[in-house]
Amino acid sequence: MSSIRQIQSERIATGARAHRNRALVVCRHHVLVRISHWLTIPLLLGLILSGISIYWASPIYQHSPDPQSGIFDYFADAGIWICAHIRWLHHYADPADWVYNHISLGPFMLAFAMRFHWLCAYSLMLNGLVYLVGLILGGGWRSLLPRDARGVLQVTRYYLGLPYAILARRRQTHPGFHTKYNPLQRLAYFSVAAAGFLSVTTGWAIHKPAQLSWLAAIFGGFDKARVWHFWLMWFFVVFVIPHVVLVIADGWDTLRSMITGWSTRFVRPEVSDHEL
Amino acid sequence: MSSKQNGAELKSARRSALLQKFQSTLSERPAEPIEVEPSMLRGWTRRNLLIFGAGALATLAVGGSQLPREVFERLGLDPLKTGSDDKWLLNKALQLDDDVATALYSQHHLVPTYTKSQITPLKNNYNGATPDPDYIPGWRLTLDGLSSGLTVSLDIGVLLAHHQIHDQITRLVCVEGWSAIAWWSGLRFDDLLHAYPPVSQAKWAHIESSVNLDVNGNPDPYFVSIDLLTAQHPQTLLATHLNGQPLTVEHGAPLRLLVPVKLGLKNIKAITRITYTKDEPRDYWAERGYSRYDGI
Repeated sequence: MSSIRQIQSERIATGARAHRNRALVVCRHHVLVRISHWLTIPLLLGLILSGISIYWASPIYQHSPDPQSGIFDYFADAGIWICAHIRWLHHYADPADWVYNHISLGPFMLAFAMRFHWLCAYSLMLNGLVYLVGLILGGGWRSLLPRDARGVLQVTRYYLGLPYAILARRRQTHPGFHTKYNPLQRLAYFSVAAAGFLSVTTGWAIHKPAQLSWLAAIFGGFDKARVWHFWLMWFFVVFVIPHVVLVIADGWDTLRSMITGWSTRFVRPEVSDHEL
Repeated sequence: MSSKQNGAELKSARRSALLQKFQSTLSERPAEPIEVEPSMLRGWTRRNLLIFGAGALATLAVGGSQLPREVFERLGLDPLKTGSDDKWLLNKALQLDDDVATALYSQHHLVPTYTKSQITPLKNNYNGATPDPDYIPGWRLTLDGLSSGLTVSLDIGVLLAHHQIHDQITRLVCVEGWSAIAWWSGLRFDDLLHAYPPVSQAKWAHIESSVNLDVNGNPDPYFVSIDLLTAQHPQTLLATHLNGQPLTVEHGAPLRLLVPVKLGLKNIKAITRITYTKDEPRDYWAERGYSRYDGI
């Protein structure tokens, strides 16, 4: 500990070059941000799996019951379709339950799924507070505010064009920014935090529609709040896929910074883009 | 230059300074780098990896211990063949949630009411056997645990003649997630509590039903617990009518509980007996892993 203090007291001015054998690092993420980031993974997974088990009891999206099977749930239809079209699933015992057996804790376990959902939901709310405290103490909240709509378009265009550029073996340069995150990252991380907040509030609206009827009214009533809650779940799923792909593509420094906090990559305002 | 102009310029300068200050508060601060030996950075990384890895394993172990056997079996695993079925952490979470629901409850907070045009179809969600309507002509409501020490038996005529009938159009919310808006009429539970006061220490009502056969016709008695604070809520009715018509057997003829501050499963049909108690009585669904309080 004392050695760290010693080093910190000899802070080097921003932009200065490190000594040959030494590394220049910055603290990229506050420890509370790192802890809450990793805890979000099991909590969201638990919430989604138990949430779909709860959804099973009364699906939002229903059609009129099939005259023969009595099935009215699109997720059951999807399971039947999957088992009919994938060869090694032809003999699956309960095709109508296939989706629930694979992306939830399972059908016929409403009471258990609700208890599991409450455990994860209260933990997620606590985790969200830890994240906010970490953002405030570390000053990281400033890097999350979206403020550059044109930049978002620039970066989006870059990523949309990237698969074609790779196929065509054409070099494409990433737009440069002098900030911790690029504008698209800022929008994405801000939205995922906002979606977390909305998931919690829509959750309360459908959990306590009598005592918190004003909250349900904000989302258009009890039934609409259920629809919000359902689609917010898909927002997290959609966020996670590019998030993980890009972290792998970006390399060890980015992943390490979310574990240890330290990063050797940081903004050096005096240095031009080429050197970065 | 007039002093008026001067003042305006000063004002706009002050405004732009304020704006700049606001923008700089929101704008990113450059990170301050520190110089470290690469070996030290490796040491920190190793230490943090170990700490976070241990945390991940602990989370997996605690989370996994709370999952039921069926989930492992579905994955083709059953590592805890002799493990305990006590899900202590889940029970704690359910208790916390019930405490929150109890704290949210207020006798003065009324649930939203709707207009007749907003009424939706209401299904009979009970999959057991609907009782034979033969019980209706001889039906009586038995009250026990009264301050008088007596057991009172009432017929529907007495209930309807001696109490004011209230109408309300409220939402019935099922634990499964569906809901229905219906028009209910009946007497207030609170009026019955005044007419036949419970023993002074009573905090609970245990309510039994004549809907008591399962899908194969075997005995499956239904009973719920209701806290007296909820029973005293002005919108808690002992309902006799649904959408202006006397209750059918499917909806709990001749008298059912209508408690819009609770989940549908507490809205017990075809009430036969109410017993007031000091201690929390048994509840059908609480014994099957659901909440005991079910406040919404």
